[in-house]
Amino acid sequence: MPVTFTFGEMLSARSVIGTTLAELGDEYDNLWVITPDIGATLVEFRDKFPERFLDVGLAEQVSVGIAAGLAYDGNIPVVSGMLPFLSMRALEQVRTDVCYPNLPVKIIGTHGGLVGNGGSTHYAVEDLALMCALTNMTVTSIGDPLMVGEVIRQSMTMQGPIYIRLAVGKKDKVLYEPGQHDVQIGKGIVAREGTDVTIFTHGTTVAQAIDAADELAKDGRSVRVVDMFTLKPIDEEIIVRSAAETGGRFVVLEDHLAYGGLATRIADVVADRGIRLTSFERLGIPQVYAGFGDDEELRDKHGYGLAATVAALRHAIATQV
Amino acid sequence: MSTQTLDIGERHSVEELEELAYELRSKLLHLCGTYEGAVHIGGDLSCADILTALFEYGLRVDPTDLANPERDRFVLSKGHAAVCMYIAMAIRGFFSYEGIVDTYGQLDSAYGMHPCKVQLPGVECSTGSLGHGLPLAVGMALSARHRGDDHRVVTLLGDGETGEGSVWEAAMAARSNELGNLVAFIDRNRQLMTSFAEERVVFEPYPDKWRAFGWNVVEVDGHDMGQLVAAIDGLPATDSNLPTVVICDTVKGKGVDFMEHNLAWHAGSLGAADLERAMAALDASRAEASRPGAGTEKEND
Repeated sequence: MPVTFTFGEMLSARSVIGTTLAELGDEYDNLWVITPDIGATLVEFRDKFPERFLDVGLAEQVSVGIAAGLAYDGNIPVVSGMLPFLSMRALEQVRTDVCYPNLPVKIIGTHGGLVGNGGSTHYAVEDLALMCALTNMTVTSIGDPLMVGEVIRQSMTMQGPIYIRLAVGKKDKVLYEPGQHDVQIGKGIVAREGTDVTIFTHGTTVAQAIDAADELAKDGRSVRVVDMFTLKPIDEEIIVRSAAETGGRFVVLEDHLAYGGLATRIADVVADRGIRLTSFERLGIPQVYAGFGDDEELRDKHGYGLAATVAALRHAIATQV
Repeated sequence: MSTQTLDIGERHSVEELEELAYELRSKLLHLCGTYEGAVHIGGDLSCADILTALFEYGLRVDPTDLANPERDRFVLSKGHAAVCMYIAMAIRGFFSYEGIVDTYGQLDSAYGMHPCKVQLPGVECSTGSLGHGLPLAVGMALSARHRGDDHRVVTLLGDGETGEGSVWEAAMAARSNELGNLVAFIDRNRQLMTSFAEERVVFEPYPDKWRAFGWNVVEVDGHDMGQLVAAIDGLPATDSNLPTVVICDTVKGKGVDFMEHNLAWHAGSLGAADLERAMAALDASRAEASRPGAGTEKEND
């Protein structure tokens, strides 16, 4: 892992995917990479291991089916492409061919959330709800580009499937100094300590949550930011602890439908564990097909941009039982 | 079938295979007569000869060594014919027929409507949702190629399931990657669940579709054991570069006259009285098939 990148710099998560897979190809001679015509990220692996690289063209369903067939024969396949199509067009292959027999297939993709200005055909905004519903599937959403490499590396020894969601993956803000956090699949990361309120988030909006926390710090408010990069299995312990340590005040921010994603996962834990909260606010995509605009404009338009996040945190802090 | 490093023992004659196919059909009917739930008996009977030819002649497998890396892989893409596969495998020695018929469809049984590898390790993969098996087989064939293994990956599809687009994605992938170690048998019974195929979906010119996708196409009568054996014997070497499809012309419900070409027998249960009637019909069709000169004429439909 490169150590020259520090907080605030921009790095391409896609290049991290390519570099990491090319490295892992040496360590695992049964690692395959398959793509439905989104292979630009993967050229390092392709050039190094052409016999274990497969571009099937525009055919998401068979990309996942072939991956399952390879996994049945003892291989570790990675399918890499655009998530709106891998998560929905190939959903049944993911469920039936991969999750049902619990095969070690990794789905790594870009365009999670309202990113890329592609319009609603190209936004993966339901994907986390769909993937979290699948038995045996581990579900992650990653904002820090350097973490992408670490999560892929850790996933190599997992028995079952994993879904790794990125935003566009071309220009991502480095959130953590390498080695700053103990990254473990299934465990949340406390990106900022705080005592007044906890904001849970994942993926591309972690940076926004940190910015919002910084904004409130100017008023002397202490916001805990939890990067819940694993949505399934969910880190229950950090939810329980944060409820106790931040006055039962929760805000959940995500670049996904406000219902069905992380907020729903956390609400389930809150209900199941009988946690008493002071406030619970969801910031995410309402039930709309979002239209065009850049990421920031769309978040502002649909009520989960930086200003809305700051307002939600203030409102949560002001809430009394 | 290919270079033999895994001993498959003495191969059966065509006559012996025909006898085994009869045994498979009679066991299918017995299960259908004793199990109260639905059995996909029509599509089971249409592929009984194909599965007999594969498990008793074509496939290099060892029932006592399920994980032998040299084994041929078999993928039942038409997962609805699970019962026919279970019983064909039982006759081959993988499991006991009694274990199937005594527990089929019951709580905690390894045997149900569609095969599950987690519950029944003897099968290669979990299938049932149609259009999934050929992509799985492509992945397995790629893996074999990469390892330099010489086993085949064989899959059985129903013609109806080739209406699924994922089949043609896989057909392209197989050709693009020159998977001569991949063989698809098509149970071309020309019936869907609720209609006769060509009434609703134009499949023809069916062999030309596969040819257009670049496959080596073989056409046989799927109920003529001699033709099935010849097709297996004639498969190209596993290191060749074209995948092969063996299109087997079949009859849904084959061998039981009141089930043949009958939409009512896509799936069902017989019960004791109908079991007797079905067995009588099966025996009659067997006697007809063994009549001198039979097999030289076209199916009397």
